[in-house]
Amino acid sequence: MDRREFLKVTGAGAASLAIAGLDPLAALSAEKQAVARQAVGKQAPLLFVVTRGGSPDKNYAAALKALGGMSKFVSRGDVVVVKPNIGWDRLPEQAANTDPTLVRAVVKSCYDAGAKKVKVFDYPCNDPRRTYVRSGIAEAAKSAGAEVSFVDERKFKQVDMKGTVLKTWPVYSEALDCDRLINVPVAKHHGSSRLTMALKNWMGVIGDPRGRLHQDFDHSLADLGRFFRPSLTVLDATRILTAYGPQGGDTKDVRTLNTLVVGTDQVAIDSYGTSFFGMKGTQMGYLVEATRLGVGQVDLSKVRHSVIEVS
Amino acid sequence: MANLRRISQVVFILIFFFLLVQTQYQGRDEIGYPVRLFLDLDPLFAGLLLLSTFSLKPILLLSLITVGLSLFLGRFFCGWGCPFGTLHNTARELARRPRKLEHGLYGKAQAWKYAVLVAVVLSALFSMSLLGVMDPLSLTVRSLSLGIGPSLELVVRSFFDGLYAYAPGWVSAVSEPVYRFLRDYVLAFSQPHFLQGAFLGVIFIGLLALNVAKSRFWCRYVCPLGALLAVLSKPALLRLEMIGQCDRCGKCARSCPTGASPALGDGWRKAECIYCWNCVEVCPTRALSFVFARPQKKDGRVDLSRRNFVWSLGAGLVAVPLMRISPSLARPHPKLIRPPGARPEKEFLERCVKCSECMRVCLTNGLQPTLMEAGLEGMWSPQLVPRIGYCEYSCTLCGQVCPTGAIEKLDLETKRKTVIGLAFVDRNRCLPHAMNINCAVCEEQCPTPKKAIVFKDTEAVDGNGKKFTLKLPYVVTELCIGCGICENKCPVVDEPAIYVTNINESRAPARSLLLAPKSMS
Repeated sequence: MDRREFLKVTGAGAASLAIAGLDPLAALSAEKQAVARQAVGKQAPLLFVVTRGGSPDKNYAAALKALGGMSKFVSRGDVVVVKPNIGWDRLPEQAANTDPTLVRAVVKSCYDAGAKKVKVFDYPCNDPRRTYVRSGIAEAAKSAGAEVSFVDERKFKQVDMKGTVLKTWPVYSEALDCDRLINVPVAKHHGSSRLTMALKNWMGVIGDPRGRLHQDFDHSLADLGRFFRPSLTVLDATRILTAYGPQGGDTKDVRTLNTLVVGTDQVAIDSYGTSFFGMKGTQMGYLVEATRLGVGQVDLSKVRHSVIEVS
Repeated sequence: MANLRRISQVVFILIFFFLLVQTQYQGRDEIGYPVRLFLDLDPLFAGLLLLSTFSLKPILLLSLITVGLSLFLGRFFCGWGCPFGTLHNTARELARRPRKLEHGLYGKAQAWKYAVLVAVVLSALFSMSLLGVMDPLSLTVRSLSLGIGPSLELVVRSFFDGLYAYAPGWVSAVSEPVYRFLRDYVLAFSQPHFLQGAFLGVIFIGLLALNVAKSRFWCRYVCPLGALLAVLSKPALLRLEMIGQCDRCGKCARSCPTGASPALGDGWRKAECIYCWNCVEVCPTRALSFVFARPQKKDGRVDLSRRNFVWSLGAGLVAVPLMRISPSLARPHPKLIRPPGARPEKEFLERCVKCSECMRVCLTNGLQPTLMEAGLEGMWSPQLVPRIGYCEYSCTLCGQVCPTGAIEKLDLETKRKTVIGLAFVDRNRCLPHAMNINCAVCEEQCPTPKKAIVFKDTEAVDGNGKKFTLKLPYVVTELCIGCGICENKCPVVDEPAIYVTNINESRAPARSLLLAPKSMS
């Protein structure tokens, strides 16, 4: 089943997002917002669910069930890229990287849905050998059968991202040459973008000079969100880092929430994620900008979502 | 026996290469088998460390094996084990033939190596610097790690990268798995780059090329370790004896790599012989044999004249004060950022043997050999060059591999609090400070749990007259450990807008910046 067929099968709401994925250049902003507005009705598709109270794998399983099962997001024979945050040489309890057990659960769900191959990688800030080991993600992902690899500099391709500020930029080809992208970011504090979640996680599949994005995060992150269209986003708030991000280091700054936000609208998911830090999505310049570009919807009153307590 | 010796040489050099390759991060915080094991066999290190610091690392007691071997059997280490010696053998094979008879006979100049030894030993009372430059094991590890190794690696990588980029698909289908294997088990994680790598490589090749002039030139004339083992071999019990009829064909002398005068000349010299067994094997009348016998006085001649002894004594004595004329101890070069765990500079130089293992093992390639930053005495010792690589916050590898304790092995908690320098923002180049543009990379990358780089938020107006919050980074002196990740990642890629110098380093309290530095806990 190719992407086009897949779209026919899945619901209209999910399709509206995926259409944008087919053609990231289409300026759908007005049209999409209209769709989102209608979407709040009972028949509207569920764009994300929040599951909380359980372990990462239980929360994830409950979320998938509510969203209609993994087969809605991954088809038989797909090559899937699962992109966690493995950016920092930190332990899981320091909450600088995605929780390893969650990554394992996501990889496993892809295989359960018939994926041919699941790849897991990140382009870390610290030494990749250390981040892969100390985050616990390499081992966890491998145990679920994923192909875990370090970024190979030769595999960056110069791509015209056609963004507002991101024009030609090196993008990791494995993130381009796959059937499905699944984004598994962790929610945490960040000094300049204030919070880093789903949109910011795409910085791990583009090449250097990435540091320049900091000059204009609002437009850069919105551009990234417009370019990368995941079939599923799993925001990890099992533990959140509330200060001194994105690295942290002191567990005093970590709060345990045992929560996941899972769904298809990456902007709405990030918008919900801000509530963990006592903020609002509209306070994040990049989410407002992403909404303007039609990437998703920052205004949660326009997005159908649900909260599930997992015991 | 000569074949047995060859096998031994191959085994030893393979172990050596294996350990050299293993001297890198293996996915665990603790390193497995660093090449240090080889340096631990070197009695010069152990003995001189004892002399210069009155301390001994227990592991260096391994060198007693070498000492014992030499005392009882002679310079076996040189002929059967030394990796530099084995490379010399290889170079000798490639060098000119036929070999000259007189090259197998002792020449007076071969006593130079004792002069080198005396100079090295004497200078080592004050500094391991000269020894580090001259010791064959240190020299080999350094040259291979910083020069020869990286250049070979570049060849391999270019070859496979070339296939990957230009060859048809079926070629890279074969070559890529091979490359992956090499990258996983042999090559460094990423292509290493070292300042002075070419210089060190050329010196090394030059030393091997001297085999063209005379075989084992280094071992014959220069090697201080060979000289020490030669002295130690005096009471050794294994001696070359004539057991048959010699027809003076000279084949034994032609085959002798070290000028030990087997059979011909003024008689066999134990101090020069490395027990390679060439002469025994090559003799057409089977007249030569190694036998166990009481050592004879004439075997053990060490021809260092009194005059030369005094000269070399003088050289060793003068060398250290000459090197210390440099103001670098009192006023170190600001960019001389030593790795965490490095002892105070004077003590550091007393110990560092410039073996470069710390540089080889450094995750980020940031540890580089100095040229003159630490004075002549400190040449080729390690310094962190943050523009090339920063000090990884949770890594302690350099202290683990140091053979002499010049860099102490730190536990993780201590390492994270060890200050090696201090970051300074260059406000003339920093984007927020100088250009009214937000940036924040340095703050984001700063690894201390409470960040040592923080923002001062200010109201600013951009070019279109729009108000925005400008985040101005500044350094919290009490928290900065000088790891250099800010300098490394600073997007001002030429002359960084934030850079580290060595002031405030914890090993030199006198050079602290603040009146009352916060306690480290």
